[in-house]
Amino acid sequence: MLVMRRRAGESLLLGSEIEIEILEVGPTRVKLGIIAPPQLAISRKEVLLTRAANLTASQNQNPEMLAWLSRKLASQDTNTVNSLTPLTKPTEFPDNSF
Amino acid sequence: MPTLQTRYFDQLHYGDGDPFRFAAGIPGFEDHTAFLLIQQPKTKPLVFLQSLHDPAVCFVALPARVADPEYRLELSVEEAAALDLPEAEMTQDSPDLLSLVLLTFVENADPVVNLMSPIVLNLRARRGIQAIQLGSNYSLRHTLTLESQAATCS
Repeated sequence: MLVMRRRAGESLLLGSEIEIEILEVGPTRVKLGIIAPPQLAISRKEVLLTRAANLTASQNQNPEMLAWLSRKLASQDTNTVNSLTPLTKPTEFPDNSF
Repeated sequence: MPTLQTRYFDQLHYGDGDPFRFAAGIPGFEDHTAFLLIQQPKTKPLVFLQSLHDPAVCFVALPARVADPEYRLELSVEEAAALDLPEAEMTQDSPDLLSLVLLTFVENADPVVNLMSPIVLNLRARRGIQAIQLGSNYSLRHTLTLESQAATCS
């Protein structure tokens, strides 16, 4: 990894088209200004990681695994489980899926 | 009463006030701005977040405190605003708030939950966000330890 020291107001260039300026340095955060071609996607890394985790989480569940897991969890600390009851008003749905 | 085709529960009737609005969706599902929170006695403490936009999209989740009894949520001012939560109630102990962690099954291993990016619901205002906890050291893939399984091994 290339490491550079910069002060507020200073910039660096990635290639010839991307400029990153240090706008402000706070006690725990720095504020960056980015100039880049509009077609270049700029994302916060944690959002990309969360997106990947969400996509995986949405895919791989099957009812047998869910039934197995809820049995495992139900046999754990019952106090914790009972404290969940007031989640929301009950929604009607058929009870035959598992 | 509106009806919805769901991934796990067939057809579901719900009330107009039931869905949670996610103004910006969640990462990877930006168009999904409304979810139903479903729980049933048989699968407690698991809960289900069913998208109103696509029957195939249904997340399996757990209350964060079940995955980690010490779980601490920190909301930014922007996140509290997105949840329509008064600033005075910005603590995780607000009775209106529920933090859920999304669950993923792993082949031949215990399931993992995403403690870093909990789904936070305002139960009263019916708003939801995915709050990414920066600097919390919470893992995106926290292995759920299943006590009863450990007991079987010993």
